[in-house]
Amino acid sequence: MQFQIKKTILFSLAILSLSLFSCELSEIPDPNNPSLEVISADATVGEIQNLVDGIESWMRDRHATYFDGVGMIGREYYRFSNSDPRFTSDLLGKGSAVLDNNTFYTTNPFASRYRVVKNANILITAIENTSAPITPEQVSSTLGYAKTIKAHELLMVLNQQYNNGIRVDVADPDNLGAFLSYSESLNAIKALLDEGHSDLSKGGSDFLFELTSGYADPSVAGFMEFNRALAARVDAYREDWDGVLANLAESFFDMNGDFNTGVYNVFSTAGGDQLNGMWYPPNATGELRVAHPSYLADIRPGDTRTSKVRQRDETATLDDLSSDYDVNVYASNTSSIARIRNEELILLYAEARIQKDELNEAVTALNVIRNAYMLGDYTGAMSKGALLDELLYQRRYSLYGEGHRWIDMRRYGRLNELPIDRSGDDVWEQFPRPMTEDQG
Amino acid sequence: MKYFTKTCLLLAVLFTSATALAQYNVTGTVKSESGEPLIGVSIIVKGSTTGTVTDFNGNFSINVRQDPAILEFSYTGFKSQEIEVSSSNSTVNTTLEEDIANLEEVVVTGLATSVKRKNLANAVEQINSRELTGITPQQTMDGALYGKFKGANISANSGAPGGGISIKLRGITSLTANSQPLFIIDGVYVDNSAVKAGFDVVSKSQAGGSQSVQDDPSNRIADIPLDDIETIEVLKGASAAAIYGSRAGAGVVIITTKRGQAGKTRVNLTQSVGINTLLNPLGQRSFDAQKVEDSFGADEVPVFQAAQSKGEIFDYEKELYGNTGVISNTNVSLSGGDEKTQFYGGFSYRDEEGIVRGTGYRKASARLNLDHELFNFFDVKLSSVYINSSADRGYFNNDNSGTTLGISYVSTPPWANLFPDADGNYPNNPYAGGNFLQTADQVTNNESVDRFIVGGIGEARLLTTDNNALRLILRGGTDYYTFGTKAIFPRTLQFQKGGNGTDGAAIVGNTLNTNSNFAAFLVHSYFTDSGISFTSQAGVTAENFNQNTVRSTATFLVGSQTNLDQASSIVAEQNRIIQKDRGFFVQEEVNFQDKLIATLGLRGDKSSNNGDPNKLYYYPKASLALNLHEFSFWNSPTFNQFKLRAAFGQSGNFPVFGAIYNSLDATIVDGSTGSLIATRRGNKTLGPERQTEVEVGFDLGLLNSKLTLDATYYIKNIDDLVLDVNVPTSSGFTRQWSNVGSLGNKGVEIGLTATPYNSRNFSWLSRTSFWLNRAEVTQLLVPAYNIGAFGATLGTYRIEEGKSPTQLVGITDNPNAEGGLEVFGDATPDFQISFLNAFSIRRLEFSFLIHWKAGGENINLTTLLSDLSGTSPDYDEVTLDPNGQVSNGDYRQQQLGVTAAPWIEDASYMRVREIGISYSIPRSSLGDIAGLKIGLSGRNLINVFNYNSYDPEVSNFGSNAISSAVEVTPFPSAKTVYFNLSATF
Repeated sequence: MQFQIKKTILFSLAILSLSLFSCELSEIPDPNNPSLEVISADATVGEIQNLVDGIESWMRDRHATYFDGVGMIGREYYRFSNSDPRFTSDLLGKGSAVLDNNTFYTTNPFASRYRVVKNANILITAIENTSAPITPEQVSSTLGYAKTIKAHELLMVLNQQYNNGIRVDVADPDNLGAFLSYSESLNAIKALLDEGHSDLSKGGSDFLFELTSGYADPSVAGFMEFNRALAARVDAYREDWDGVLANLAESFFDMNGDFNTGVYNVFSTAGGDQLNGMWYPPNATGELRVAHPSYLADIRPGDTRTSKVRQRDETATLDDLSSDYDVNVYASNTSSIARIRNEELILLYAEARIQKDELNEAVTALNVIRNAYMLGDYTGAMSKGALLDELLYQRRYSLYGEGHRWIDMRRYGRLNELPIDRSGDDVWEQFPRPMTEDQG
Repeated sequence: MKYFTKTCLLLAVLFTSATALAQYNVTGTVKSESGEPLIGVSIIVKGSTTGTVTDFNGNFSINVRQDPAILEFSYTGFKSQEIEVSSSNSTVNTTLEEDIANLEEVVVTGLATSVKRKNLANAVEQINSRELTGITPQQTMDGALYGKFKGANISANSGAPGGGISIKLRGITSLTANSQPLFIIDGVYVDNSAVKAGFDVVSKSQAGGSQSVQDDPSNRIADIPLDDIETIEVLKGASAAAIYGSRAGAGVVIITTKRGQAGKTRVNLTQSVGINTLLNPLGQRSFDAQKVEDSFGADEVPVFQAAQSKGEIFDYEKELYGNTGVISNTNVSLSGGDEKTQFYGGFSYRDEEGIVRGTGYRKASARLNLDHELFNFFDVKLSSVYINSSADRGYFNNDNSGTTLGISYVSTPPWANLFPDADGNYPNNPYAGGNFLQTADQVTNNESVDRFIVGGIGEARLLTTDNNALRLILRGGTDYYTFGTKAIFPRTLQFQKGGNGTDGAAIVGNTLNTNSNFAAFLVHSYFTDSGISFTSQAGVTAENFNQNTVRSTATFLVGSQTNLDQASSIVAEQNRIIQKDRGFFVQEEVNFQDKLIATLGLRGDKSSNNGDPNKLYYYPKASLALNLHEFSFWNSPTFNQFKLRAAFGQSGNFPVFGAIYNSLDATIVDGSTGSLIATRRGNKTLGPERQTEVEVGFDLGLLNSKLTLDATYYIKNIDDLVLDVNVPTSSGFTRQWSNVGSLGNKGVEIGLTATPYNSRNFSWLSRTSFWLNRAEVTQLLVPAYNIGAFGATLGTYRIEEGKSPTQLVGITDNPNAEGGLEVFGDATPDFQISFLNAFSIRRLEFSFLIHWKAGGENINLTTLLSDLSGTSPDYDEVTLDPNGQVSNGDYRQQQLGVTAAPWIEDASYMRVREIGISYSIPRSSLGDIAGLKIGLSGRNLINVFNYNSYDPEVSNFGSNAISSAVEVTPFPSAKTVYFNLSATF
């Protein structure tokens, strides 16, 4: 009888365990991260700030890879890597090597820039949908901020993609906009900057959020000057020389001001923050950037911009390339990297004047640069051609290592003037469209 | 109480014999054919619950009521035997015959039931403890499986101590989701994660854009102590594993540990000592002034000559990889108990040094298994093990900072002087990012584990009649561990000081893993008088998984401190994985007089990992075995066994955790934390991968099973393949998990076992296994894409419809190549063969296991990196240039950017995996010691391969589904020699 009781107990245990297992599973929310859906639907002011910080942070991501791509093709410097031969093979077109459409130098900067664009689009959705107590001015200035940043990022993509063109409308991942031609893309970027400018002008005096210390003037007015500086660069690429001058007038352009006034990406050694990826210590081995030998070969006597390179204790050699000089543009691994600065604006001013045949004004601007580097006033021929040569020289040395040389030579159809180091090397005109763009 | 014992011979527990009046005592001795007494042979009075086991001297004694009665003798690895006894014939001395063909072996086929191998419809493989560790001691459980069963592709990721092995059963079953089999130990689902140490912060291995883990972490199945294992069963595909449902996509490995035997307590002590040495020294390039000038420039020549004149040309291979690693392996086991309670205790300790200074592995484990009869209708079995291990794995694999031991070694010519001065200060290495001697001395990369695996099974016999039995089985278990990683890069390192790096880095990770699983089954057996039996089972299962990893990276360390708060910068990351699965299953098995055995089953599963957590996914199975030799028409004297079998089944594979979420990542700028859209786009419609497998085969036994042949052909298709699909990155996303493809595998497995001699003085067992697998991507809804490795210039995997998923392609100078890509190889072997021979000559035993992997290519980038630094050992040979002009090193460099061919190399090998010789000292000379055995053994002592590096068995990317078989300066492999001593008391 006792056994029967025990059996009954056991049997009830079995039934109990069966019922335990038959319960519904509830959906487990992501235990690790905030959700896109929640933020898009109704963001808090804190979350808006988070999105802005996400944008500011990621604008720096793969920036060094971008510079290495355009810097090597523009024969400004060599990026040597013991562990990755593709810098010196693919980027310089060694032998039959070509730029790959699925390798990091093509895909990573591209993806990082669009990731920032995506974050800016999320910011736009969030600011439009939020029920947080904010003013219409704050909405407008946020929109202006987001559009300006998008334009900056898209321009970096276009610089590498060139005639492949780019997608500008990428808000809906299921329905991405078409690829525009190079000139259409530039026009779209310009339009985005103008829209942003108009939004900012209705945006009151202060942003809803804080900007990084890379903005000397973090007010809405200060940000508008950044917007116009970018617009001046884009107009130069569009060869709208009046536009360049008009935009410069509204920017932080200052002929007599500090060359380094501008907007910067900032770095720090704080936990989780990024370091300046363009900096390597002097005499680095293994991973390093050394000046292209032509940098010193072509520099004029007395030009103090020799300080942008520094002699190494030992020659750096890799893959039949060598150099005795380290790139010395940044002082430390926390030095800021300019998005755009006054020195470029002065040169844009000079360029616009040359193109408009206002050669005296151009020379005035060029002399500001020349005198700063101990070259004295310009004494060469007063012709458009001669002054363009002079301008390109000054741009080469003033903006060394900042990603301009290749684009400048391309704009003026002079890529064939860039030096070839090894027979069989190539100077690429543009990067291939990332393979994944043709999917999905 | 009558109880039908046929279905659970091995599980047989010892039942108290009821006291009755008319009983008599039967005694006797059981021995093996070689005359050794057999300890622990199970003896059951047929048709009753009365049973006992033989003692230490092979003797037994049992009270029997029935007169006459039949005694059933059964013992693992031996054929069972039935002997009639009566009150007038009560002494039985018998000899059990070895079960060479393993026909009597019991194989677990249901979640709660088992079947004898001779009635099995699947090619399920079983490995017993003798096969596992009988020839030689092993480092890890998974590492002991090489060549021991068909249909597996087992590959070590590197030679680093502490494991890191990938096991793929019957080809590729998933391209991106989990590709490693499910491991179940005594009913407990055990975790097999590989958690990275996070030193890519220093190595920058992901800076080139590769998202995969390249830290060479070990996988957690390496923790499982080997010496406790009784058997390992391998269910290789869905036809056998369907009842495990959504977790069985990559197969199931069922491990059963040893259990106590009633009787006098037996103690077994095994001690092995051994050494590790570099498996395949490559040597160094020998230089002269001309070569130095060619590779390093004219400036380097005087440096070289100065070193040469001082006699300072160093053998750095020996300095770095030349450590003779001492190994000690100790195991003590205890087994005993009475008729109600039995225990097994196992203690093992392994301590080994690696071939790189400062590396090594230490593991201690303690197991206690208890079996207890709570009531005469209710048994409980408890299994518990505690494991503590620590592995120092060195700092290897790919980097983008020139600092890992491997990369700095290949970057450095032999005239560099890297040795410390008298005060212990290391010079900077001018040729690489790091001075590898300093790195080896000062960097810590440690993994440590504290783990409990505890399981319990309760079995109640609810109903037992003459031809009916109903059992309730309750099973639960938990796998709980903390896994610590510690990577310390002190600020004195070349790549941490003077602005190189971050003035020291300490990366400390902690993973807390808690898995728990519960199941309840009802099993009903019904036997007709005509010899037909029906086994029905139904059950429910629940599994919960919870893993929480917290990793802190501290940089800019204070002085020589490694404490996380002694740093000016610290980053914390946390990653949680939570998964809940619920399922049910039903199965019906019919056995018609052992002639025809048919099984039908269905599993239903739901999981929180699916887009819809409450959607049930169903997985059916069906199988049929036909024992032709059991039919009356079969009277061949030669062929004693001929079985035809066919099986079908489906199983699933869950998408990876987190695939359904659209998330925002954290990122830091200027002291603030920002939110950034994650690169992976969530997919709310994602479901599991579904595998359908059909296998057919036959088993043939000749000359009383002296020769057996088994052959299996299978077709295994995977639909709804989850791929980590590239999405246009202009969307802001990079990837998305999607169900977008199908994959087909087919393969052949053939086994031939022969026992030409089997006598007391000489026996010889020979087993040859052959297997191959061919895979093809049969459908791909996205365009073909490259994946894994480092891009087409250096060779990459490519997923392409109609092609093998493991094809290796690269850029080419062949103008006819489609899309500029040529197929240079395939990571999958053409076929594999293993060849086991065991000889026993009186007291001497000699065994060896040869494993041949034919074909299969690797992407070997160690060669590339050595060439670029001018240090390749074969640099000056002229064997590659078709014109016979250019040296190998120069030739390969010339090909860089032209074709990927030079780096895609044949990775075939033939190894003597295990070899061992042992001698059993005669008992008569031993006094109290019941057995004493001494021997010598070795692992990987003979290796034949034509691969241009340390070992063709390598993976820079760990146990990834694909993209293994890529080499970037790994921890080189070792070979091992042991002296073994084993004593039984």
